[in-house]
Amino acid sequence: MSGEILGIVLRRIAVAIPLMLLVSILVFIVLRLIPADPVAMSMPPNATNEDIEALRREMGLHLPVMHQYAIWLGHILEGDLGRSIAFGQPVFKLIGQSLPATIELAVLGALFATAIGLPGGILLFRLRGRPSEQAVDVGSTLMMSIPEFLWALFLILVFGVAFNLLPFAGRLPPDMTIPRVTGFLLLDCLLTGDLTAFLEAIRHMLLPALALALGTVPLIMRLLRSSLLDVIGEDYVTMARLRGVPERRVINRHALRNALLPTLSLMGVQFGFLFGGTLLVEVIYSYPGLGNLMVEAVRNTDLPIIQGAALVFALAVLTINLAVDVVYIVVNPKLRRAR
Amino acid sequence: MSLLALNDVNVTTEAGGRRIDVLRDVSLAVGRGELVGVVGESGAGKSMVGRLIAGMLPKGFATSRGSVTFLDRDLLAMAPRERTGLLGDAIAFVPQHPMTSLNPVLSLGAQFDEHLRRLGQDGKAARRERALAALDSVHLPRPADLLGRFPHQLSGGQCQRALIAMAFAGKPDLIVADEPTTALDVITQARVMELIDELQRDSETGLLFITHDLRLAAQHCQRLAVMYAGEIVETGPAAALLSDPLHPYTRSLVAANPGIAGPVRRLAALPDHMPGLSGFADLPGCRFAPRCPVRDAACAAARTALTEVVPGRFVRGAGACRKQASALAGQDELPRAAADAAAPPILSVDGLGKTFRSGRDWLGRRRAPVVAVDGVSLDIAPGEFVGLVGESGSGKSTVARLLLGLETPDGGRIVVDGQDITGPFQRTAKQRIALIQMIFQDPQSALNPRQRIGRLVTQSMEVRRPPARWPERLERARDLLGQTGLPQDTIGRYPVQVSGGQRQRVNIARALCTAPKVLVADEIVSGLDVSVQAQILNLLLDMRAQRQISMLFISHDLSVVRYLCSRVAIMNRGQIVEQGPTEQVFRAPQHDYTKALLAAVP
Ligand SMILES: Nc1ncnc2c1ncn2[C@@H]1O[C@H](COP(=O)(O)OP(=O)(O)OP(=O)(O)O)[C@@H](O)[C@H]1O
Ligand code: SF4
Ligand SMILES: [Mg+2]
Repeated sequence: MSGEILGIVLRRIAVAIPLMLLVSILVFIVLRLIPADPVAMSMPPNATNEDIEALRREMGLHLPVMHQYAIWLGHILEGDLGRSIAFGQPVFKLIGQSLPATIELAVLGALFATAIGLPGGILLFRLRGRPSEQAVDVGSTLMMSIPEFLWALFLILVFGVAFNLLPFAGRLPPDMTIPRVTGFLLLDCLLTGDLTAFLEAIRHMLLPALALALGTVPLIMRLLRSSLLDVIGEDYVTMARLRGVPERRVINRHALRNALLPTLSLMGVQFGFLFGGTLLVEVIYSYPGLGNLMVEAVRNTDLPIIQGAALVFALAVLTINLAVDVVYIVVNPKLRRAR
Repeated sequence: MSLLALNDVNVTTEAGGRRIDVLRDVSLAVGRGELVGVVGESGAGKSMVGRLIAGMLPKGFATSRGSVTFLDRDLLAMAPRERTGLLGDAIAFVPQHPMTSLNPVLSLGAQFDEHLRRLGQDGKAARRERALAALDSVHLPRPADLLGRFPHQLSGGQCQRALIAMAFAGKPDLIVADEPTTALDVITQARVMELIDELQRDSETGLLFITHDLRLAAQHCQRLAVMYAGEIVETGPAAALLSDPLHPYTRSLVAANPGIAGPVRRLAALPDHMPGLSGFADLPGCRFAPRCPVRDAACAAARTALTEVVPGRFVRGAGACRKQASALAGQDELPRAAADAAAPPILSVDGLGKTFRSGRDWLGRRRAPVVAVDGVSLDIAPGEFVGLVGESGSGKSTVARLLLGLETPDGGRIVVDGQDITGPFQRTAKQRIALIQMIFQDPQSALNPRQRIGRLVTQSMEVRRPPARWPERLERARDLLGQTGLPQDTIGRYPVQVSGGQRQRVNIARALCTAPKVLVADEIVSGLDVSVQAQILNLLLDMRAQRQISMLFISHDLSVVRYLCSRVAIMNRGQIVEQGPTEQVFRAPQHDYTKALLAAVP
């Protein structure tokens, strides 16, 4: 079985490669179309025409477009994303510094979404036919129409400002620093044995992660509820009851496992969106991740960073989809090869 | 002392503000090691009996009277927990749909393991041993391999054997099997029934066998109870009940069932159909009265009770039915419509072939091509009904689709009334519509629910150029309804507003609209109750007598084919393995497959 799944993963990766190439072409073309001259931007104002021409040659801008793309792609594959115009540092390094924060945030957001969404779906299902079902239903519909940046603001207002319960800026209190080991703050805190900082880091992540999760939660809840309603009428559920399987187990083992399948594919798509959602949420929470880096770069027309960040976002979405596909295959035997 | 006893049970629900007894005064007993059949048409309340025993009545249904005792304990008074404790252990169930009754995401092994643990077996290894033994006891080869499989990797027959193995695994006192073979092929059905007989013989288990098939029940059970509209109308020893039915309903059931041997007589079909749940409330007396051929004035209001008419045999009724029944009104033997052998065939199929090369699966692996129809040749004379028999997947429906032009054949020729209509549908559509029409299997899905019946039956007049005017269509619709025995007031109704049998008549009327030379009927009676089936079969016979219509009648039911068709072709794996005059093929089958099919008929 594991060999089979490995095969499927490899196949999915094989599909992902041309997709990535396509994305890279798009990024390349879009950035060529932007009316901003990268050469002029990276030259001091007093540069001569010869200087400019020299740099053009150095950057390969005199070559045909296809050729330029090939060179650009070659650099990227070597891990060379160019230098940031604003910071003068290699883009690869800049992204490497901010990506872990974003990953941490997105993972925590996805965990929250799952931890609230799945039990919420079961709760919705359990309430079926009761008067309270209506209320929860209306509530979840309402929740569904709120985008994550509104959640972010709302959470700041309530938990940050009104009750002053949780911090809503940065990753740590200003007077606290943790030596960088992996870049993943939570991990670094544990590695350095600083529990206070660990708890502080968590406190700082709670609101942004929750804001990310809340956009997805009602979708998960409602889909799981409707899948459970479908599944509960299936013959195998009746048969499990007729075999004397206790009701709780009928739901948790027989109904839920089947109802999870459609929910799982939804979660794959949603977590891709959720990763994209970090962009605005990071800005709102002044959270030093990839999103903030990207927004900063857009402000400065820092093309190399924009390029790099766009590629990383695309890669992340593809990776998330791949991961969800694999989980889907593991839990759905129908997709495995018939023996 | 019986194992299970239902005493005067009423199960009641409310509909439209009225109390309705879904089950009325049901009394039934199953002894240790006894096999008891509950027989009745759809909606008679058979499954409700099973749900009552399981303690799983649908929402809004409750027992309002009577008792259910199991091993001398009152099930209805038992705490729900204790009652659930009996399920799977002391009382086990075999389901109607084996393929969908196993959890698709759990391996067979995991489901066995859960079940055996529920039965109190400790130790994973010990449970595995028991599961292997159980699978072995139902004659499933290579049980160790099966335990690792998932339901979709098993056939219907394998699933049902596995479920039967589970049911018997706990050595239950009682097994309730609700239509355990209805979803299976004839041959598989016969094997599964054999298996149930065998396992039951070797144990002390009492078995309640719920089915719509009176013959099948009579073949396997010691005693039978016949249900109609929520009541048991007759009980008695199986053999006597089948050979000498007493209640008028039982008699009509027997009479409506075309046999596989003996003289072919015209079926005695009851009028109308069994009332639905809401109709029960208007029948305070004998619920069968509206359809009863021997009713008298008092029957509709009279309180009926089961009375012992002959020692050991009980009949519910208040009128003529309580006297020992007179012999069935004799029906004349049907003349076999001998087709005109000299006339050129109206339909001639020669070397028809179709292979499906269905692309790739989701992993991009090429699927093996499926040879659905392989060199099929067949002639139908004017006014002749030819039966095409085979199990599901044998290619029957593909033949029908090829004849209608819904698929394009890879090879061979189709000639109707001298015209070659082999080509793709668009090219031959005009000719086809006037020559050959299809009656679909499932009238429910074949009829647009948003159109009135008058419009539906004259649909083919829409494609005429210029299109037919409405008064003309209306007149044609009236004529068609008359031909198919539908009341004229159905003309303005929607498909959902008529019964299943009437819907099938609408379906037939629609096919008749263009006065085609040939009809292709694909399993058109398989979803119907026997009494309604008899009506439709008689309708088809009348149609043949009145006009020289020809038909290819596709069915898996040999007795129905024998009743209707003068010639039969047996299909297996895309090929016609045997064809000839029906009587000859049925009396002296040549091919092994035909022999197996005939042997499997109950
Ligand atoms: N969940 C339900 N809600 C409402 N009515 C129901 C429900 N289940 C069954 N009924 C009705 O109860 C009556 C008896 O149904 P039941 O399922 O016992 O019939 P059956 O004899 O098993 O028929 P079949 O051969 O179609 O299985 C029918 O009129 C049916 O429509
Ligand atoms: S009681 Fe009357 S109507 Fe009912 S079955 Fe007997 S004779 Fe027929
Ligand atoms: Mg039923």
